Amino acid sequence: MKLFPYRIPLLVLLLACSLPAQDLHEFEKHVTEFTLANGLHFIVLERHEAPVVSFHTYVNAGSVDDPKGRTGVAHMFEHMAFKGTDTIGTTNAVAEKKALDEVERVYDQLEAERNKIEKADPAKLKALQETLDAAIEKADSYAVDNLYPRIIEENGGVGMNAETSEDSTKYFYNFPANRVELWFYLESARFLHPVPRQFYKERSVVREERRMRTESDPQGKLFEQMLASAIIAHPYRNPPVGWASDIENLRVKDAREFFATYYVPGNITISIVGDVDAKRMKALAEEYFGRIAKRPLPTPVTTVEPVQEGPRRIEVQSPAQPIELIAYHRPDQHHQDDPIFDVVASILSGGRTSILYRDLVRDKRLALAAGADATVPGGKYPGLFLFYLVPAQGHTPEENEKELDTLLANFQKEKVDDATLARVKTKTRAGLIHQLDSNAGLAQLLAEYYVSYGDWRKLFTAIDDIEKVTADDVQRVARQYFNPDNRTIALTYQPATAAPAGGAK
Amino acid sequence: MRMLRLSLMAVVGLAAAAQTAVPPASYKSLKFPPLREIAIPKVDEVTLPNGLKVYLLESHSLPIVRGTALIRTGNLFDPADKVGLAGLTGDAIRAGGTTAKSGDQLDEELENIAASVESQIGESFGTVSFSTLKERTDEVLGIFHDLIVEPAFREDRIELAKSQVRSGISRRNDDARGIAQREFTDIVYGRNTPYGWDIEYSTIDNITRADIVAFYKRYYFPANMILAVQGDFDAAAMKAKISNLFGTWNYRQPPAPAFPAVNNQPKPGIYLASKTDVSQTNFAIGSLGGILRDKDYPALEVMADILGGGFKSRLFLRVRTQLGYAYEVGADWGANYDHPGLFSISGSTKSASTADTLQAISDEVNRIRTAPVTAEELETAKQTVVNSFVFNFDTPSKTLNRLLTYRYFGYPDDFIFQYQKAVEAVTREDILRVAKQYLDPAKFVTVAVGNPKEFGKPLGSAGQPVTELDLTIPEPKAAPKKVAGGGNPEAGKALLAKARAAMGGDRLAGVRDMSQTATVQLDPAAGGLKVSQTAQWLAPGYFRQENVLPFGKVTTYSDGKSGWSATPQGVTPIPEAQMQQVTLETFRMWFSLLRSDENPERTVQADSEGKVEIADQNGHRVTLTFDPKTGLPATETYAAPGNPNGAVEEVFSDWQETAGVQLPRRITLRQGGKHFADATITSVALNQGLTAEQISKKP
Repeated sequence: MKLFPYRIPLLVLLLACSLPAQDLHEFEKHVTEFTLANGLHFIVLERHEAPVVSFHTYVNAGSVDDPKGRTGVAHMFEHMAFKGTDTIGTTNAVAEKKALDEVERVYDQLEAERNKIEKADPAKLKALQETLDAAIEKADSYAVDNLYPRIIEENGGVGMNAETSEDSTKYFYNFPANRVELWFYLESARFLHPVPRQFYKERSVVREERRMRTESDPQGKLFEQMLASAIIAHPYRNPPVGWASDIENLRVKDAREFFATYYVPGNITISIVGDVDAKRMKALAEEYFGRIAKRPLPTPVTTVEPVQEGPRRIEVQSPAQPIELIAYHRPDQHHQDDPIFDVVASILSGGRTSILYRDLVRDKRLALAAGADATVPGGKYPGLFLFYLVPAQGHTPEENEKELDTLLANFQKEKVDDATLARVKTKTRAGLIHQLDSNAGLAQLLAEYYVSYGDWRKLFTAIDDIEKVTADDVQRVARQYFNPDNRTIALTYQPATAAPAGGAK
Repeated sequence: MRMLRLSLMAVVGLAAAAQTAVPPASYKSLKFPPLREIAIPKVDEVTLPNGLKVYLLESHSLPIVRGTALIRTGNLFDPADKVGLAGLTGDAIRAGGTTAKSGDQLDEELENIAASVESQIGESFGTVSFSTLKERTDEVLGIFHDLIVEPAFREDRIELAKSQVRSGISRRNDDARGIAQREFTDIVYGRNTPYGWDIEYSTIDNITRADIVAFYKRYYFPANMILAVQGDFDAAAMKAKISNLFGTWNYRQPPAPAFPAVNNQPKPGIYLASKTDVSQTNFAIGSLGGILRDKDYPALEVMADILGGGFKSRLFLRVRTQLGYAYEVGADWGANYDHPGLFSISGSTKSASTADTLQAISDEVNRIRTAPVTAEELETAKQTVVNSFVFNFDTPSKTLNRLLTYRYFGYPDDFIFQYQKAVEAVTREDILRVAKQYLDPAKFVTVAVGNPKEFGKPLGSAGQPVTELDLTIPEPKAAPKKVAGGGNPEAGKALLAKARAAMGGDRLAGVRDMSQTATVQLDPAAGGLKVSQTAQWLAPGYFRQENVLPFGKVTTYSDGKSGWSATPQGVTPIPEAQMQQVTLETFRMWFSLLRSDENPERTVQADSEGKVEIADQNGHRVTLTFDPKTGLPATETYAAPGNPNGAVEEVFSDWQETAGVQLPRRITLRQGGKHFADATITSVALNQGLTAEQISKKP
């Protein structure tokens, strides 16, 4: 799940940036790459400053790959990956398997009865539900709750988490350097022998996650509605957490199929950064991950979002103070305009010198916050360039929207000056250096750039693309994409009957 | 999700795997070598003659230099009627620019070189920090220095910050989780304490530039500051640079006072905030926590970890894994360095399972209070601390930040090692004892934010009192605090004229100078000092005050535009920022104050209760009340910029005549409604022929 950008001002979000070439060469000396026979790719960066290691497993599959009617399944599997294996997390693997199979058998019967719709027998439904609940409790009795994450925590693992976005699923944590082999053991085991243990209870947990992030959060709600309105065909329109009713109907077989299709070794990249010996990493990788069978790569999404043919505008009721999102369609991250979009976003919303901050926030005081994000919700497929407007007290979304229109019209008319362009490039270059500070951050970047661009070096060389961007490019992109026919506006409005903030006394 | 079919590819894969080493069947048979010794970097320390402490740590892995000045201040020093003052000051130091450059110029200069300098004030400290590429260090250090030493506090950026804060207030009820945390904090610490009050429109509206300047001047001085710099530099060269830059800054102030004590006793029970646009209930449950140096702190941390820390904890297990009621649930002992933190259990659950979730949590709290934890739980908790210990040292900045924090709050440098040892010694009995002693469900405050119509079961069915919270955001007071409009100028004039007549009529206008001696006795709670004070005034605006304190004499002089102050350490000019405080003294001198209605630069107006507010365009403002019988002034109230305890009220008595003018000989001083000092005027002399030369003589 990705967070909506308002809470943390993401100034140079997703900007690819680089060090001078000699630093890349220095960096390269410490990087070892290898691909196992099954296709699983490893990137190892040796950094011996402290006896710690960061691990990042990047699966090149995300919520865009959720099948129709099964939104949220990529995310659901991510949760299941912490439930243990056939040997970790059970008191009796054989009995547990039998009990889990029984759960599915009863659930199938329940679904079959439900599918009769009006003709379904309520008494039978009730009985089946009771049988199902009992079967779930029986299977649950063999579970050792949360043993898998507990092993990580008690061995000193920190920063343990996972994240499912539209484009990818990432698993990551850090271990003391002497626990490296334990990571190999645990990480390979969860992708070799996952068990759908406590699936339906975890489904409730995920349903709570949706309530928390989307249903009870005005920003989350608006963002979801915006995506579903701006994008009509491509799965970028679906929330990674899934639609409520899809989550509530997810089954073990859905997660199993998703895993079988997308968690194939050739679709996974692992990076290891820290106090390790690359040769040993390779040996351990072969020992532990070589066991995973080679399987064919999945098919990417083939749906292409049709060209938008006219402005769209939606309003979402909310008693909260108003917010507005404005989205323009843009091509994917491999398109030649990609670096130009990054520069445009930086000029418009990067820091206190940006056009949006200076005008909307500082001078006109129409907005509490205003900014832009070049790549929403992901970059793998054509997506959106998004503006967000958070009106200041006493000002409306409409005032902000009008002012933004004026700013963009001017931005299309007047070419950006050299000083601004130079500033953006300098900031981009420095941004990368700061990113190199953390093992965990680097582990993620190396994997992400490798998967997205075919080479982790792109992390460094992308600066060349940024350097080449001219004022003409910026103007062309602004003129080509920022036009009303290509635009979706989504805003909240307060219903007339809304109680004052906080509701009734 | 076991694979049900084995493809040919899989068989090939297995065959390939068979040629390499074979993984053990169980993770338990893995053997781990001891972790290599970690090198803890050495921090260079130096204290400049002006009292500024400097810590330096070289680290050459990246071409970056970063630094932080840590200042002993905090929003705990906000006056009750100006909550938000510290935060605005922190913002204005950076946003308002330096004497030489506006905030906008700095924004551009810094971003041009991809550097940053930021300033903020939080609850119990302020920071000014910078970050830059190595080659720009000198430039950035210069800006960093100028912002700390001579911020200009330009009015436009203060107004911008105030409007941003107002917008923030207007949005504070939009986030259910934020509401739960805020209300829980406010209730447990007490809404009328600096730990528990909120910024309101009215408190922000009360804050002037002068307040901000005074707040800054009170706390930003070298002896009240620690400076830490880390990165790609040579320590000796950096030391020299910093000495050059900051060594000549000799501004002094008395040491910052201690932070206020925490002693609230909240009413236990359930506090319910209704919010109809959510499908979940956000909750926070708990009570006051403790301080890190408490001897039971390590046992309490382990206890809270077992109860609600991470995936392995009891609350996570029960409420999330077994019941599926929550995505988020956890407990935190919540100790702070210098004042009790909050013990809290928090999370969110769908509306319908609210009561059941609270019940499950209550059961878990009772369980950990009544039966010892298992040996396995304790071992897991200890192993977690011991094995992850290395992550306290994995970057040089962690070592430096820790040292900075420990020094700031007065903890031993090796506190973290003491803590680790203490955790290893914790027993199951310790955990049961501290759980019993410190977790008292009868005293818990529970805040729930959600939609009660969908709760299924009402809250409080177990008999706890339920209080409904009103989240309505108070609008700013309709009657403006400042001079413009609202009051009654005619009534104000009349009251002032009556008082003038009682004090000596036209004789007041004839007073050209005054000398006075006084003894001021502070209450023990205010420090218990006895101060001998001499004050001299010469029309129109010359003023001199000498205070004899145990550590020496402090003399302050002003001609109304600028001034100086002299201490045993030497003479320094009064910064523009503090002039407001000094000129308030001449503003409220009897002989001009009582004639304010004749002064076109001042406004005088009375409210319906007979209070008279006198103000001018420079931000001076006092409120007088009068004795209805004699007509003489009874009390005088004025703001005390930078003082956390709020406005000062003087109560006058023992009126005596000097050269035909009635003046009070006894003044009782109250602040924030509390008595804090008594002043006895021991002598008064008028029209002695004081000259500007005499009054301005430096000691």
